[in-house]
Amino acid sequence: MVENITKEEKFSIRWVIALKDEAEIIIQQYRMKLLSEKSVFPIFKNSEETHWLILSGIGRHNASAATLYLYEKSKAPKWTAWINIGIAGCGEGHFGDLCLVDKITNNSDRKVSFPSAMKNSPFPRMELLTTDIPIIDYSSKELIDMEACAFYDATSKFSSRELISIVKVISDGPSNNIKNLNRSIISKLITTNISNIIKIVLYYKNLSLDEYKRLKKPDIFYKICNQWHFTVSQQHQLERVLRRIATSNINENILNLLKDCRNSKSVMSILNKQMESYEVDWRNT
Amino acid sequence: MIETIYIEKKIKDHPRTMSILSKFKKARHIEIDKYGEIFNKHNQNFRIQKKNPALILAYKKEGYVLPAPEGFGIGSSKNYYFSHMYNCIYDCRYCFLQGMYSSANYVVFVNFEDFDAEIEKIIQKHPKDSLTFFSGYDCDSLALEKVTGFAKHIIPFFQKYPNVDVEFRTKSTQIEPFSLIKPMDNLVIAYSLMPDLISKSLDNKTPSILKRINAMSLLASKGWKIGLRFDPLIHGKDWKDLYTKMIIMVFNSIPVSSIHSVSFGPLRFPKQMFKDIFKLYPNEPLFLGPLSQNKGIISYSTEIEQEMTFFCKELTTKYINESQIFKCSA
Repeated sequence: MVENITKEEKFSIRWVIALKDEAEIIIQQYRMKLLSEKSVFPIFKNSEETHWLILSGIGRHNASAATLYLYEKSKAPKWTAWINIGIAGCGEGHFGDLCLVDKITNNSDRKVSFPSAMKNSPFPRMELLTTDIPIIDYSSKELIDMEACAFYDATSKFSSRELISIVKVISDGPSNNIKNLNRSIISKLITTNISNIIKIVLYYKNLSLDEYKRLKKPDIFYKICNQWHFTVSQQHQLERVLRRIATSNINENILNLLKDCRNSKSVMSILNKQMESYEVDWRNT
Repeated sequence: MIETIYIEKKIKDHPRTMSILSKFKKARHIEIDKYGEIFNKHNQNFRIQKKNPALILAYKKEGYVLPAPEGFGIGSSKNYYFSHMYNCIYDCRYCFLQGMYSSANYVVFVNFEDFDAEIEKIIQKHPKDSLTFFSGYDCDSLALEKVTGFAKHIIPFFQKYPNVDVEFRTKSTQIEPFSLIKPMDNLVIAYSLMPDLISKSLDNKTPSILKRINAMSLLASKGWKIGLRFDPLIHGKDWKDLYTKMIIMVFNSIPVSSIHSVSFGPLRFPKQMFKDIFKLYPNEPLFLGPLSQNKGIISYSTEIEQEMTFFCKELTTKYINESQIFKCSA
């Protein structure tokens, strides 16, 4: 049996956030609820299962483990957009400004990565340094945090860089002492940026939907696979020919055409025949 | 609009880098060590990137000039190609570049002088052979000319070698590099063409066929030699009618004396490349058929290929000599 995916048109967004105070407004905005009290990391999701959020805790190791845990637990599909949002120190920007990250340096091994930031966005883009201990010398880098490089490394294993977003809100810097940060200030920093966050989510929601439309298999694929046995290689061929038939506007009832088939080979033979002599009418494209 | 420019540290102060950067005042600059850090990564989504590609400015270390694939030529005994750029600003659905690189970002190599030196070496190595160099294999040779200035740089180089041919293959209407100098007998500006109706469906972000014909006509009127590249030939309902109208239109717009050569090329994809491109654009009419697989190549059947080539060739020989017609099978 081939596992069926949801037939509704669904985008997919996964959030990895270090602190509850950073996540609160996002959990509210997208109506997410705690999945289970007993989970290794707290996971929240909305009823449509389009948004899932994990609280990773502070630091690279937590971010990496939580990202992989969420990936497994939520069965994140290929069209998932991944967002890491949190507060960050900054030597240049203004307190409370929201920034997108397009270059990350891991302070421990100096490895550099290049996330792809949201296009045509009104938000400034900056470099970020991920460190294992808080840094108060803000002069060397634009942004400083404690999770992003691990989040990026982990998500890069199962997602393309265009679907990974790192968003930071400036919380401390030369004129805003990190020692003054408390839960209320952290929460407020994210809350005041919620309209900006919604814009970012909308961008990734659309990308995710486009990818979903590209990657989803035609519904009839599952019906056919459930009726006849197809090898993995045959499944790829079946998917291709069904996509071609779907694009061609051939108005045959496919299942009716296949009703006398005894095996996958005869199914493929009939389907391929449908397209064998098909001529594209460029006037209709 | 280019939003992001990645710049290799090695060439960040190169005059050509500075010149290119000055053309994108609002772009964000990000320094990198090697262009491969961005361009060759596996976790990239070509389709999403193609909507908004970044520019990568880089230094090419080797492979400035390469032998052209077999079947890629317009009469010379030896054929070479060079690419100052990887990827294209256009988005043609049949283009092999969609399956060639994992990235849709544009790489521009700024060390043009190294291309000159390599071309010169090859010319000196083959004093008795007829040579043709092709620009525009891994990119469109003129589409980003306003940014790179590569054609403007390399054309005077070929003025020194009147016995060596160079072809600029393009869909661009960018003719400025040719408007300021005297026409050269050894330079061909070759336009990729197909019936307008098909082009509208497959040639995304390109100038229309009519605009390309107008550009050719203008260049011909100034004395430049024009190449007509019906490559790839695309099948479909009423293809004979569509190709007849297009070929008549082209030959009515350009004096026969200006036409250097005509070539016809079939639609062909290596199997893996086809799979990759199909995955990117599964709902494209181009892939509806009638395509088949033969020896690891996805193409129209031999009968269709031959019929289309024969038909178009017959039409073309009404205007020009058969010796000017070539088959491009690369």
